[in-house]
Amino acid sequence: MITTHNLTKTYNEQTALDRLNLQVNEGEIYCLLGANGAGKTTTINLLLGFISPSSGNAFINNIEVSKNTKETKKFLAYIPENLMLYPNLTALENLDYFSGIAQKKLSKKDLVSFLTEAGLQEKAFNKRISSFSKGMRQKVGIAIALAKDAKVLLLDEPTSGLDPKASNEFGRLLGKLSKKGVATLMATHDLFRAKEIATNIGIMKDGQLKEEFIANHISLPDLENTYLDTMNFKEAVL
Amino acid sequence: MTRKTFIKEFKELFREGRLRIAFFLVVLLLGVSVWISAQQYQKINKQHEIAKTAERTIWDNQGKKNPHSAAHYGTYAFKPKYPLSLVDQGVDKYTGTSIFLEAHKRNEAQYSAAADQTGLSRFGDLTPDFILLFIIPLLIILLGYNSFTKEREMGTITLLRSQEITFWKWAMGKWAALFLPILILIASLFLIAGIILSYLKDFGVFQWDSLFWIFLVYVGYYIVFMNLVLFVSSKVKKSGVSLVLSISIWILTCLAIPKVASNVAENKYPYPTRQEFAVNVLKDKKQGLDGHNPWSKEAQLLQKNVLKKHGVDSLHQLPFNFDAYRMQKGEEHEAEIYFKHYNYLKEQFSKQSGVYKGLASFSPYLPTRFMSMAISHTDYATHWDFADAAEKYRIATQKFLNDNFAENSKYGNWKYQADADFWKQLPAFEYTPPELRTVLSKNASNLFILGGWVIGSFILFLFSTKKIK
Repeated sequence: MITTHNLTKTYNEQTALDRLNLQVNEGEIYCLLGANGAGKTTTINLLLGFISPSSGNAFINNIEVSKNTKETKKFLAYIPENLMLYPNLTALENLDYFSGIAQKKLSKKDLVSFLTEAGLQEKAFNKRISSFSKGMRQKVGIAIALAKDAKVLLLDEPTSGLDPKASNEFGRLLGKLSKKGVATLMATHDLFRAKEIATNIGIMKDGQLKEEFIANHISLPDLENTYLDTMNFKEAVL
Repeated sequence: MTRKTFIKEFKELFREGRLRIAFFLVVLLLGVSVWISAQQYQKINKQHEIAKTAERTIWDNQGKKNPHSAAHYGTYAFKPKYPLSLVDQGVDKYTGTSIFLEAHKRNEAQYSAAADQTGLSRFGDLTPDFILLFIIPLLIILLGYNSFTKEREMGTITLLRSQEITFWKWAMGKWAALFLPILILIASLFLIAGIILSYLKDFGVFQWDSLFWIFLVYVGYYIVFMNLVLFVSSKVKKSGVSLVLSISIWILTCLAIPKVASNVAENKYPYPTRQEFAVNVLKDKKQGLDGHNPWSKEAQLLQKNVLKKHGVDSLHQLPFNFDAYRMQKGEEHEAEIYFKHYNYLKEQFSKQSGVYKGLASFSPYLPTRFMSMAISHTDYATHWDFADAAEKYRIATQKFLNDNFAENSKYGNWKYQADADFWKQLPAFEYTPPELRTVLSKNASNLFILGGWVIGSFILFLFSTKKIK
C-alpha cells in the first residue's frame, strides 16, 4: 500500500531525506523512529504530496504521489501531532464535515457508529471540540479515517503529549484498523509504544533509514540499545 | 463540498459571540437610521406640501396687479423629496430645497438643510446610506478577515490538504457563507424600506424596480468587498495582518480615494467663485438688451427694427405695449446669458464627474455612491435637472406675464393691471425627475465599472484559492 523507491528530498543542498526505500503492506503498522530532524515528517509530507521529491518516487496503492496527488489522497487519512479540528463545531459536526468533503454520504447513525468505534464517549458526541483533550481529538481523527474508509493511515507523532492511558487506547485503535487491512505509517519517538503496536520498525537518522526490524523479532531492550547506538547517544552519555 | 463548507462556515460564524454582537449592532443602526430617515422624510414632505400650497395660494390671490410687478414679486419652485431618498439622501442636504423665480434673474436653490444645522453637522448624520456604504463593508471585513487565516492558525488546513478537496469549491463554500448573512441583512432592509414607502402617503411616486436596482448595486458593492477581504485572507498567514490589510483597503476605497477624487476634480476643473460668477453674468448682461432701459443702444436698435417691421413711425401706433415687448426681449437675452454661464458650470460638473469616473477604477465606492444617488434622485445631476426645469418655468412665466402686459395695454401705460383671475391661468410648476431607464443609461459607465469590479475581484479571489497552503 505504501512504497517508496530511493525517495530523496533536499533543501538548498541539505538532504532532509536520503534514498528512502520503504514498503508498508495491507494490515501492517510501520513505526518510524528517530530524533528530531531525522526525516520522519519529511517522509510523511512527501507521501501526502505536501512537498515534491527531489528524486525517487513515493507510491500509495501503486499510484505515484507526485503525479497523481489528488488521486492518492482518496486512500489516505492523516493524523498530525496536534490534530486540530473546528473548535466551534461538535465532534459529530466535525466528522460530518470531513467525511462530507471526502465525498462520503453518511447518515447520522453512521457517524455515531464511527465515533463509537473510535472510542469516543457518547456524551462527547454533541460537545464542541474546543472542550476536547488531545486524546479525544485524536479519536475524532480516527473516526474521520474510519468514515473515509481509508486504506492508508499516516500518523505524525500522534501519541506525543497523550497520557499513558490515552496513548494505550490509541494503540489499541490502530490495532483494530490494522485488522481491517489498513496500512499505517507512524512517525514517533515513543519506542515503547512502537514495540507494542508495530508490525515493522525503522530507525532513521540524518534522512536515512539506518535499521529496519520486524517488531516481533526484537525485544524492547534490544530495540532501545539499537536505537541509542544508531543515534550515537551512548557515546554522548558516556 | 461547497454546500458542506457553506453549512460549516455558517455555523461557525454564528456561534462566535463577537460576530453576533456586530451583526446585532449593524441591524440596530440600520433600523434606527431608517426610522430617523422616515421621520425626516415625512416632516420635509409635509413642509414641502404646506409651502407649495401656501405659495400658490398667494400667487393665485394677488388681486388686480401689473403683470411685471407680479414678475418681480416672484414665486417659488419647490424641490420635491423623492421616495428613495429614504435609502440614500445623497447631496440633498447641501443643494437647497427651493428656487425663487423672479424677473430678469436666475437664482440658485436656497434653504439647504445643512445651512440650518450647527457645526456639529460636520460629523455627519446617521442615515441608511452611511450604514450601507461604510458600516456594512466593515461588517464584511469583521466576518471574513480570518476566513482562511483561521484554517492556518488552527492547523485545520493541514487536515484539509490531506483530503482530496478541490480548493475553489471549498473557497466558494466560504464565500457563500459570508454572502448569505449580508444578503439577508440588506434584502430585509430594502424590503422594509419598500413596505414603508408603499404605505406612506404623499411620498411621490415610489417604484419597486428603482429600489430593486439600488439593491442590486449594493449587492455588487458588497460582493467586491467580500472578494477583496477573502482574497487577502487567502494570501496572508496571520489573521491580524489580514484584518489590518482589509481595513486599509476599506480606508483607501471608502475614505481616501473619494477625497482624492474630489480634490483632483476640484483642482483640475474648478467652479468659478460665486462672486466671479455674478461678475461674469453682469458683464454679459451689460453688453445686451436691458428690458428696463429704453435709452440703451440695444433698446434703440430693437425699437427701430420693430417700428420698421410693423411699418409705423411711433411706438404708440404699435398694436401692443412696446415696454412689455422690450422687457420680454430683455428676459430672453438674460435667459441666454444665464444659459451660457450655467452651461459652463454644467460642463465643469461633467468634467469633474469624468475625473470621478476615472478614479472609480480604483474604488468600488465611487460607482456605487453615484449609482445609489442617481437612482434615488438625490445626486447633482437630478438637482441640475430640477434647476433647469425651474429655469424653463421661470422663462415661461415671464413670457406669460409680459405677453399679457403687451397684449392688453399700449406703450407707456404702466398703470395696466391684470384681472384677479388671471394669475390662476399660470400652470403650477411640476417637476418629474428622470425615469429609471434614463438614469441607468446616463450611469452606464458607473454600472460598467462596478460590474468590472465585481468580475475582476471575483476572478482574483478564485485564482488565489486555486492552491492554498
